[in-house]
Amino acid sequence: MTGMLCWATVAWLLGIGLYGIVTSRNYVHLVGCLSVVQASTYLLLLGIGYRWQAGPPIFYDHPPGTPAVDPVVQALVLTDIVIGATVTALLLALVLRLHKRTGSLDAGSIRPLSR
Amino acid sequence: MSVWGLPGLVPLPVVLPLVVAGVLLAFSKLLPARLPDAIAVLTTVTVSGLCADFALHIGDQPLVYWFGGWTPRDGQVLGISFAVDPAGAILGAFSGLLFTCSLIFAWGYYDEVHAHFHVLMLLFMAGMVGFCLTHDLFNMFVWFEVMSVAAFALTGYALRSSSLVGALNFTVINTIGSYLILAGIGLLYAQGGALDFSALAQAVAKTPADPVLTAAFALVAMGFLIKAAQVPFQPWLADAHAVAPSPVSVIFSGIMVPLGLFGLARMVCDVFAASPEVHRVATTLLLGMGALTAVLGGVMALIQRHIKRLLAFSTISHTGIMMIGLASLNRVGLAGLLAYLIGHGLVKASLFMVAGIIEARCVGTDEIGLRGAGRPFWAVGIVMAVGALMLAGLPLGLMKIGSEQIVGAAHAFRQGGTGAVLIGAACTGAAVLRVAGRVFGGFGPVPGEEKRAPTEQEREKADRPLSLMLAPTLLLLMLAVLPAESGRAFLDHAATMLRHASDVRDLVPGSATGGLASPSARRGELAAPVMRTIGPWISVGLAIVIAVYHLGRSRIQPAINKGVDRVLGPWVEVLQGLHGGLIGDYVAWVVVGLAVFAVTCAFA
Repeated sequence: MTGMLCWATVAWLLGIGLYGIVTSRNYVHLVGCLSVVQASTYLLLLGIGYRWQAGPPIFYDHPPGTPAVDPVVQALVLTDIVIGATVTALLLALVLRLHKRTGSLDAGSIRPLSR
Repeated sequence: MSVWGLPGLVPLPVVLPLVVAGVLLAFSKLLPARLPDAIAVLTTVTVSGLCADFALHIGDQPLVYWFGGWTPRDGQVLGISFAVDPAGAILGAFSGLLFTCSLIFAWGYYDEVHAHFHVLMLLFMAGMVGFCLTHDLFNMFVWFEVMSVAAFALTGYALRSSSLVGALNFTVINTIGSYLILAGIGLLYAQGGALDFSALAQAVAKTPADPVLTAAFALVAMGFLIKAAQVPFQPWLADAHAVAPSPVSVIFSGIMVPLGLFGLARMVCDVFAASPEVHRVATTLLLGMGALTAVLGGVMALIQRHIKRLLAFSTISHTGIMMIGLASLNRVGLAGLLAYLIGHGLVKASLFMVAGIIEARCVGTDEIGLRGAGRPFWAVGIVMAVGALMLAGLPLGLMKIGSEQIVGAAHAFRQGGTGAVLIGAACTGAAVLRVAGRVFGGFGPVPGEEKRAPTEQEREKADRPLSLMLAPTLLLLMLAVLPAESGRAFLDHAATMLRHASDVRDLVPGSATGGLASPSARRGELAAPVMRTIGPWISVGLAIVIAVYHLGRSRIQPAINKGVDRVLGPWVEVLQGLHGGLIGDYVAWVVVGLAVFAVTCAFA
């Protein structure tokens, strides 16, 4: 049951994030929606590696062999966070520059090339 | 001399540019003006040479390197490896060559920004080579991200509002693609319990019909198709490539976009080699998408007036042609994909350099506004015209081998692909030929449908020496035109190894891999001898006819022109509107693509 809830949340985050991007009229809002899409991948990866009744995959204070959640997906999530942070920072820098140039943040009013 | 026999050198083509980039960044303020140029060129030449050396000296087994010595133990894969096969190595060498030419082309282009341009370019190349050589799914994803982030930053480099919007569109769409790939990787790991290609392939071979695996494939494939700009994910490419600085567009169109297809080829032929479901989805859906992309890209190129945007649409069209080769999933089609990828990359890179020369010399990229402006340096126009004819399918060099094999494979496999290849090639060739005639010959005073296209006035640094810009342009075009028959055997070998990378045929007797190999592949080699010999000339002829018609509108009765405009106008408006630069629309198309993929996978 809880497993189903996890996958449903993943799908919901992906859907709502994409919906937000499609309908967005503000670049900052759009970058936020992209982060929501990304959050769905975090949850998916963590959900895949999760084991019931298992501790963190650190065997410093308990013996090796005790049940632990999958450390590989956690490493993947960590890399994912780094990539997400890079992309978000870059996007926000671009948005700032764009705002300086055009005075607008409306994705609908700024086009890459004019007619 | 060969470095073969020193497997420890395998990571060097990736490590070297990363280290040099770091050093350049640290000392960027101290280095004299031209030193970063020289260091960067030296690095790219070294990387290209190393990869070429790998490519030429690999036998029937890929060259494997386990990072940190984490070799598999008791059949359990724990570490991450690079496995250099001829296909990956030759693409690494090719990207090194393109970066070298692009850096020479850009010599002195970015004086004011210290070495930041070179740092980004070297990071870009490191990501690309790592992507080509890796044998681990997540590692492949990370290299693709390194490549993408460098590309995003380079697109917006000029900081004009058009390039900022182009970079934003590029970043958002490609990042969505990345997240889809990551979700697919997660599902694959959940079912396969590994990230190494071979280990995953074995896991797939055990449960080939698992719907979760098919879903994983759909997600990963969608991600790569977004990056390879296939219909309906294509519009971002035109926005990004049109506004990026020309030396960067050279890399984008020359290799970065087609690499998405290479990644997909690795997925289909390596990880999912044993899954008949995936092969069924891949053959039907990829062939259809490729054919549609080839035609749509060609038509869109014909109705552009911004020269770089026109070339960008031509890249979309040719990537579609490559996809037709990939969709056949046999050795001939894959060899065709590799040959076409490199041949097209050489031609398109030199054409983007010509666009850069026009931009630097004539201060503008608007085809109609620049009519006749190129007359003082008409020799460049000849380069452009030759490039245009190559795009149209002139049977020369690597592109000839590539299109022959793609047409052969598509013909054996299903008839539909051949026509799309010819139409796509003819349209893009005609479009570029028209630009050459108009800008360098002063023909075509009466514009046609292209006058409705978006454009802008941009300017690139104009006081660079023409010789430094022309030398790499000519070199690339010469390499593209040179006879490449001796490369046929190598490409064949590379495609064979790419197709049987994980060699899971023994695990699953009579599975999709084995079944696909025999009859269709053999027919592919023999098929369509007529199409092979006259096909290229049909598309070249068609390209010349279209270009002559477009340039000769002033000699036709104005009433006829007006009538044609009235008929085609609304359609052109619709097509332009679909590529209107609005990010929300593009993402809506991504969602449509997601739905198409889901439906196809459900009913495959």
